[in-house]
Amino acid sequence: MPFEELRERLLTSGIAPRHVRRYLAELGDHLDDLTQAQRDAGYGAQDAVIRARARLGEDDDLTTAMLDRPALRSLPARAPWLIFGFFPLVSLAALCAVPVGILAAVASLHAHAGGSPAAPSWFRDLTLSAVFLGNWLLPPLTASLFTALASRQRLPAHWPLLASIVLVVIGFHMQARFPAPHLHGGSLGIGLSFPGGQDGISLSRWLAGSLLIITPALLYWGWRWRQDLSTR
Amino acid sequence: MSANPSFMSGVPELLVLRLLQDREMYGYEIVAAIAAVTGQVVAPKEGVIYPLLHDLEKEGLLRAQRRPAGGRTRVYYTLTSKGVRRLFDLTDDWTRMTRVIQHVLKGPLHAI
Repeated sequence: MPFEELRERLLTSGIAPRHVRRYLAELGDHLDDLTQAQRDAGYGAQDAVIRARARLGEDDDLTTAMLDRPALRSLPARAPWLIFGFFPLVSLAALCAVPVGILAAVASLHAHAGGSPAAPSWFRDLTLSAVFLGNWLLPPLTASLFTALASRQRLPAHWPLLASIVLVVIGFHMQARFPAPHLHGGSLGIGLSFPGGQDGISLSRWLAGSLLIITPALLYWGWRWRQDLSTR
Repeated sequence: MSANPSFMSGVPELLVLRLLQDREMYGYEIVAAIAAVTGQVVAPKEGVIYPLLHDLEKEGLLRAQRRPAGGRTRVYYTLTSKGVRRLFDLTDDWTRMTRVIQHVLKGPLHAI
């Protein structure tokens, strides 16, 4: 890749990946045109490439031209505190709301269809699956998404770690309660959870969940550390 | 740029908007056209045109579209109606400024 170093410099400087991708594609096309023009002017293949690259600009020029335009920086680079400190909770809440909404719709349809007022066993299974999904799969998935976002933009490892810590310390917890089969109704709830709280989860389960959440950020941290070592 | 950089602020933007008023172009064509119409007086390192184009697009002054051309795909830039208004504003500003500077450079200085 002719612009690999430029790509890394732009991404680590906070330029939005979509602008970096298009910039490099356009530079590649431009370099091809310049090289062809030099060949048409009578230069040999190697000379044409060297002259074309000089006319295109050095990496410093090309980087500075991009960095001089703050509008081309990505939102995570401009406001990492907002993205990695606040959005993880919003994202997790939105993700958890999806299964809760689906369950509520199913329950409503079941009631309107004249079903038994007691929750049927399949609905209990569905609800318990949703609770498992919300408590054990969605938080690590959310943490992974924010780690992937940081990785895509070459952000320092402490940002996805912050997102993971936010999810660990202030997470959402889903609970489902069904009364005995001869009684009617049941409840499914979602709310903030803190370890050791009255309705919270046990410490051992919280620790296991926390490890799942924080693992992607730790892996990214290790990867960045190895990258830094190899570039020194 | 070949000219004094301190005089060049806003010039590339004005030239790009003016060139695209006539027809859509891709980056290489724009750079070549700038060099041609200015007699190489404005001749930046060619790759630095793209951040300007991206910025103008982000402001809604240009529209970019990738299309096949000559066996390859190119990103063509077109002036939007907002871009046309900006061009008129910049042209007015530039015309007024050059008239004033010409007046100062050629006129008597007894008013100073």
